[in-house]
Amino acid sequence: MKKVSSLINNFFFNIDGLLFASLSLIILIGCFAIYSATGADSLYSRYISVQMAAIFIGLLMMLVLTNFNYKNFANLDKFIYGLSILLLVSVLIFGTTIKGTKGWFNLGIVFFQPVEIAKILYILVLSSFLSKMGSNVKKIKVVSFSFLILLSHLILIMMQPDFSSTLSYFPITIIMLFIAGVRFRYLLVIIIFGCIAAGVPLMMAFFKFHNIVVENSSLFIRVLFSLQDGITWLYMTIAFAVAIVIIWWFCKKLMLRAPMSYIIILALAILMGCIASGFVEKSIKDYQKKRLVVFLDPTIDQRGSGYNIVQSKITIGSGGFLGKGFKHGTQTHLGFLPEQHTDFIFSVIGEEGGWLVSQLTILLYFIFLWRALVIGRNAKDSFGSFAATGIVAMFGFYAFINIGMVMGIMPVTGVPLLFISYGGSSIISSFFAVGILCSINMRKHTNYKTA
Amino acid sequence: MVWQQEDGFSYSDFFVRQKIILFCFALLFFILSIRLFYLQIIRGSSYEEISEQQRIYNTKEVAPRGLIYASDGSMIVENAFTYSLLFYPFDQAGMPTDETIVKLNKILKKDIKPYLEEGLKTGKIVKLADKLTTDEMFKVQENKMGLNGVTLLIEPVRVYNFPEENSHITGYLGEINKEELKALSGDGYVMGDYIGKGGVEQVYDTYLRGINGGRQLEVNAKGAQTQIFNYTQPVTGNSLYLTIDPKLQKLAYESLVNSASGRGSVVIIDVRTGAVKALVSAPGYNGNKINSEDFNVYLKDKNLPLYNRATQALYAPGSIFKIVVFAAAVESGFDINETVFCSGHFDFGDRRYACWYKPGHGRVNMMEAMAQSCNVYFYNLALKLGVDKIDEFSWRFHLSEQTGIDLPNEKKGFVPTPTWKKAKDKIPWLQGDTINFGIGQGALWVTPLQMAAMISAVANKGISYRPYIVSKAVSPNGNEIYTHSVRENEPVNLSSGTWDILHKALIETVEKGTARRAYFPNIKVAGKTGTAQNPQGDDHAWFVSFAPADNPEIAIAIIVENAGGGSANAVPIGRKIYEAYFSEGEYENSK
Repeated sequence: MKKVSSLINNFFFNIDGLLFASLSLIILIGCFAIYSATGADSLYSRYISVQMAAIFIGLLMMLVLTNFNYKNFANLDKFIYGLSILLLVSVLIFGTTIKGTKGWFNLGIVFFQPVEIAKILYILVLSSFLSKMGSNVKKIKVVSFSFLILLSHLILIMMQPDFSSTLSYFPITIIMLFIAGVRFRYLLVIIIFGCIAAGVPLMMAFFKFHNIVVENSSLFIRVLFSLQDGITWLYMTIAFAVAIVIIWWFCKKLMLRAPMSYIIILALAILMGCIASGFVEKSIKDYQKKRLVVFLDPTIDQRGSGYNIVQSKITIGSGGFLGKGFKHGTQTHLGFLPEQHTDFIFSVIGEEGGWLVSQLTILLYFIFLWRALVIGRNAKDSFGSFAATGIVAMFGFYAFINIGMVMGIMPVTGVPLLFISYGGSSIISSFFAVGILCSINMRKHTNYKTA
Repeated sequence: MVWQQEDGFSYSDFFVRQKIILFCFALLFFILSIRLFYLQIIRGSSYEEISEQQRIYNTKEVAPRGLIYASDGSMIVENAFTYSLLFYPFDQAGMPTDETIVKLNKILKKDIKPYLEEGLKTGKIVKLADKLTTDEMFKVQENKMGLNGVTLLIEPVRVYNFPEENSHITGYLGEINKEELKALSGDGYVMGDYIGKGGVEQVYDTYLRGINGGRQLEVNAKGAQTQIFNYTQPVTGNSLYLTIDPKLQKLAYESLVNSASGRGSVVIIDVRTGAVKALVSAPGYNGNKINSEDFNVYLKDKNLPLYNRATQALYAPGSIFKIVVFAAAVESGFDINETVFCSGHFDFGDRRYACWYKPGHGRVNMMEAMAQSCNVYFYNLALKLGVDKIDEFSWRFHLSEQTGIDLPNEKKGFVPTPTWKKAKDKIPWLQGDTINFGIGQGALWVTPLQMAAMISAVANKGISYRPYIVSKAVSPNGNEIYTHSVRENEPVNLSSGTWDILHKALIETVEKGTARRAYFPNIKVAGKTGTAQNPQGDDHAWFVSFAPADNPEIAIAIIVENAGGGSANAVPIGRKIYEAYFSEGEYENSK
């Protein structure tokens, strides 16, 4: 008993006050939103009680993790990597299929989604690897190896298939490589590769669903569509190679010291991106493409995700300044808003709490991210700094993509709003991440002056 | 030990890069805030409107229109009601009891249970029964205690009493069309409303129509109703009181229908106020048949029953125009004793213009020429006066001018001028045109209402009032919200001597001239017949008159299409009207 109270004392004396305060408020807002969205009439109603139980378990886990020295994660990195792979493999074997995705363990009363926890384990593994590399991090093999770790996760997740989860891995990886000190030009190459690989198929999908008459369109669109057959790729590659030689020749003439390797790497990145885009094009299903581009024009899919986007915007917009009041959201309660308690929970906050509460939520999220970044800055070692920043990247991008989606400025990817959306797995794994943050914070370098 | 100290360079690099990350997130969340502000603050009210629109659904309960009364208090237009039985599945929880269902089944003679179940399943309003008889309605009403969620819906239906004879006064109802909606959008009309088409139903629509009521419902995303917000009782429209005398109206209509062609028009005006006592266009139509197959028959009928001849048909006035020419001649100082020899025709240039009386009237003076309607005399008068003079007097008598009656789409007629002819036909006005003009032929066009207005101005020696048909509008609670005020037209400016001579000529026309059939020993009638030639067929018969001549009360214009001479075909109708009017005790002044 004494041990437990010392655990709690330890937690409260060493916690970052602002971080905990903002997190508590976010969770409180989330509980109200779920209570209203699911039409609960008491705290024992189905969704709200499950959510509160998950929060409770999450808090316990957070307490335990706070007292667990995070450095052990670095020492156990191989084991952790193995565990994450084991989780992802076993869900493919023993998992339950929901909405076409084999991504859940059926635990009797609840479903658990292992990809949520695998993501955090990935952050730990990558942090450990990067911190061990130290000043070697500028070498290209570090980037390559990081991508091998990433790839092992992505392949397993794509086999479920869970498209939206794979998307969230990219910003996390890029940000972690960036703060670890990887050369900026490598990252640029990766970003160019990613943009082409994902951007070309999506743009094509957008114009396709938009019913553009290809023959009468601009050169750009015609070229884009001609990419669908392989010959154009060949032409473009040849043209590109010729262009590189000419540029290199000019540079030489002008006595500029332009390393040939830069240009070649850039060219290869674009080429690889183009080739990869072909695979991406084939691996994404039509309905997924629709969801990804529908925010550009909701009329593409008026009965499906386009309807969701339009209704979500109406829901948020109709909240106005003060909102319609708790449990008085007409859009929410008459069923106009889809997925109210999960992906579109922010719209419920917008409708019932108005601009005041929804802007407050965004602000609280930002405060949370800021404090987490400060924890990363003050960490005693680079592993802690990298892990904390990775966690920030995860929370930050989830929040941005989700809130952007419900307001119609980001693709419909089906990512939850962490701490607020209904879902035991995401709540527990989020607290798992916060527990790591607290552990890092508790062991911070106290002499260092924060800026 | 601590990495901030052990490797200065790599930490400071990390420190800068982490700042960049913080800045990036600050930017991203700032974008979110801008978007949120845009959606909720800038576009907030419009999104709120959309969200209200998609959740609120209004059911319409049509308000009964106002009633329309004739001058004797009889109801020309009233409302009947049909009843339908509705089931609101959300009024109370659950279904009506089995006992009630059995009762309802017995009254309605059908099994309503499937309907009720459908309503509960879909959450939508269900019509249990349509067009209940009053008997069924009362039975349902009696048993209403136990009927959860079952409501009687009352729908008014317009009923036109004596539909044909009054059809062009009352008009009929029709669904508002796009152009009307556009024109009336400011007055609260909406798609699906029924508005008046033609007659006072159209002109006084804003008075007659009530305020629709209905239920305001909330619907969810699936279209099922979840609750009722409020119920507004429909408000009945205002009633109209017309100046029409139903007996004269009926008599005039029947006389026209039984005439040679069955087509024509009669307008009777009270010369003292401008009140229209009868306004008939034959054939009429039955406004009760609107929206039925029968109504389409009217659209195809060659006799054009939907067409209000009294205000919209243009006829040549023929000899009744001689009133204007006569007045012009006397006012211009022509000697009324000057005689002309009528041989039955008049030669001018290389053309021969006939008098209607083939053997010829012999030597006649102006008074005799008027009474016998001698064309030859008027050919001479027209040539002497000239076209400009006749035009001027036509305008003095308000020809080619709307009378301003409160009925829709009134035509204003036409008076030809040399300038008009030059512009239209590229040839100048000829003397021959003037000769024709003198007997009311040519491109001279008038409506029956216009002729009635003209003869009433003659009766009052120049003074006339704007004709009107609605004397007042009364709200359901008895307040008079509109009262007609008598409006005097610009007087027809002639010297009193001219008026006296004109009256004398018109009295002589009835006493010993062409209108002898309207002669009464005890009532002094003054009038003029006309026979308007028309290229499409037989001549139109005209008769305009007023009585009593020394103290006029009513003026009548009658036209019977394609009936032949006015004397034989129009005057007898006038006679019947005077008989009816003066025997009813309405004859106030003469003995």
